Amino acid sequence: MVALCVSGPALAAGDRELGQHLSSECVTCHNPSGKNAAGVPQIAGWPDDQFVAVMNSYKEKQRDNPVMQTIAERLKAEDIEALAAYFGGLKPPKEQVPAKRTKGRER
Amino acid sequence: MSFNRRQFIGGSAAFAGAMVFGAPAVLGQAKPRVVVIGGGAGGATAAKYIAKDSNGAIAVTLVEPNAKYQTCFHSNLYLGGFRDYASITHDYGALKKKHRINVVADRATKIDREKKEVILASGKKLPYDRLVVSPGIDLKYDSVPGWSQAAEQTMPHAWKPGAQTLLLKKRLDAVPNGGVIVMVAPPNPYRCPPGPYERISMMAHALKKARKDRCKIFVIDPKESFSKQALFQEGWEKHYKGMVEWLGPKVHDGLKSVDPKTNTVVTGFETYKNAALVNVIPAQMAGAIARDAQLANASGYCAIDPASMKSAVDPNIYVLGDASIAGDMPKSAFSANSQAKVAATMIRGELTSSRTFDARYTNTCWSLIETDDCVKVGGAYEAKDGKIAASSTFVSKTGETAELRKQTQAENMGWYSGITADIFG
Repeated sequence: MVALCVSGPALAAGDRELGQHLSSECVTCHNPSGKNAAGVPQIAGWPDDQFVAVMNSYKEKQRDNPVMQTIAERLKAEDIEALAAYFGGLKPPKEQVPAKRTKGRER
Repeated sequence: MSFNRRQFIGGSAAFAGAMVFGAPAVLGQAKPRVVVIGGGAGGATAAKYIAKDSNGAIAVTLVEPNAKYQTCFHSNLYLGGFRDYASITHDYGALKKKHRINVVADRATKIDREKKEVILASGKKLPYDRLVVSPGIDLKYDSVPGWSQAAEQTMPHAWKPGAQTLLLKKRLDAVPNGGVIVMVAPPNPYRCPPGPYERISMMAHALKKARKDRCKIFVIDPKESFSKQALFQEGWEKHYKGMVEWLGPKVHDGLKSVDPKTNTVVTGFETYKNAALVNVIPAQMAGAIARDAQLANASGYCAIDPASMKSAVDPNIYVLGDASIAGDMPKSAFSANSQAKVAATMIRGELTSSRTFDARYTNTCWSLIETDDCVKVGGAYEAKDGKIAASSTFVSKTGETAELRKQTQAENMGWYSGITADIFG
C-alpha cells in the first residue's frame, strides 16, 4: 500500500493529493492488489481518459450500477480528474485476475 | 488548554478557536499519540489510515484483546456453507509490520478523560492526544425475558463473531428434518439491519441443501417492517416456499418470554415448545467502554459531530461505527470503514496540520438470499442539519433478472476482498 502511494509519472493535470484522499472511498471495494476481485474491476493504472469517461458515464447514468452511480453523482469534474490522476499513477497489479468468477459459488 | 462542555457545544466559533489553539500545543511534543480502542472495521481502518497517511509522524496504538478477528459481515455466508471459517478470519500482522502500528493485545477497561489516558486490564496506562473509540455493540441481555448471558450457550445470538458463530452453525447443522427454528429478531437500532433476514435465508438454504425441507423457521420480530423486506420476502417465497414464516408484532402480539431449559418461546399469539434451535438477537447498545466513559446518551449510543465523527461531549475523542449515532447511516462494517477515513483525515489535520477535506460517507450492504441471488442497498451521506444525512440512496428491485442478481453476488464477494484488504492489509 505504501509503495503504491509513491508518485507515478506526472502526466495528469488532476490534484493527486485530493485524488488520494478521495480514493479511500474507492478502495473499500476496489482492492488495489487485484486479489479475489473478480466481481469488482481492478482500477489501478487505468489511463486517465478512460477513467474520466467511465466515471462520467456513471454520473450521467449511462452505465447501470447504482453503487457507482451514487458515488459518481456527487463527484465534481475536478474530483474525477483528481481520482484519474491518482489511480493512473498507481502500478497495476502484476498478476491480472482472470475475468471468470472463482468465488460466490458454494464450496 | 481547558475545554468545557459549554464551550464545545456553545458554537462553532468557540470550537474553531479552541482547535487552532490546540494544534500548536500538540505539535510541541515529540510525536502526537493516537490510541484506538477496538480492532474492527472502524478501529482498524482508522489506525491504518492515520499511520499510513501520516508516514510515521503520529504514534498509533491499537488496543484489541483478540489476536484473530472474525468478520460479522459474511458470517451468514459461513452459516449457509458459502464460506469457510478461515475465510472470515483476519489478523493484525500487516497493521503491525507494514504500517508500524503498536498493536496491544489487551482489553481497555477505562478511559480517563481528564488525564487523557486509556487504562488496560493489565493495569498499563496509554496516554493519548486523540482517542478513537470503536468498540462495536454490547448486547442487552435483559431485553428478552427469560434469556441471559448464560443462556447464550443454549440460545445463541451469534451477533458478535467468534465462538457464537461456530456454535450457531453447529446447532443449525444438527437440526433434524421437520425441526422448528425460532429467531427472535432485534428492535431498532441494531448492528446490520438486513443481517437477521440474510441469516434466515442462509439457514433455509443450508436446511434445503441437507434435504431438511420440512423444517420451519419462525421469525418473531418486534418491528412492523425491516430492511429490504420486499426483496427478502420475494426470495423466501421463490426459494424456500413454506419454510419461512415472518411474524410482525401485530401478528405475534409481543414476545412474552423464552425458556432456555426447554427451548420454548412464548408470544401473545403462540407458544413454540421444544424448538430445535432458538436464535435470540437481543436489543443492543454501544460497547461498555464508551458508555462507562459517559460518551453515550440515553439512547445507549454515542452522539457525534457529523462533519468529523468527533464525540459530541469530548473534543479529544472520536467515536466510530456501531457505537456511534450516525444519522441515516446503518450500523455496518462499510459505514464504520467510511467513518474511520473521515476521522483519520480530521485527526491528522488536528495533530499534524495536514490538509483536510469535507466529510463524505458511503455505505452499501449486500445480502445473499440463495446461490447467485444477491441484493443490495446503499447510499451516499454528508453532514447536514446537524446529522449525517443521506444525499442519495438506492436499493435492488424485486423481479430483477437472474443475471443481475448473480452479478450482484460477484460484487458482494469482490467487496469483501476489497474491504478486508482495506481494513487489515
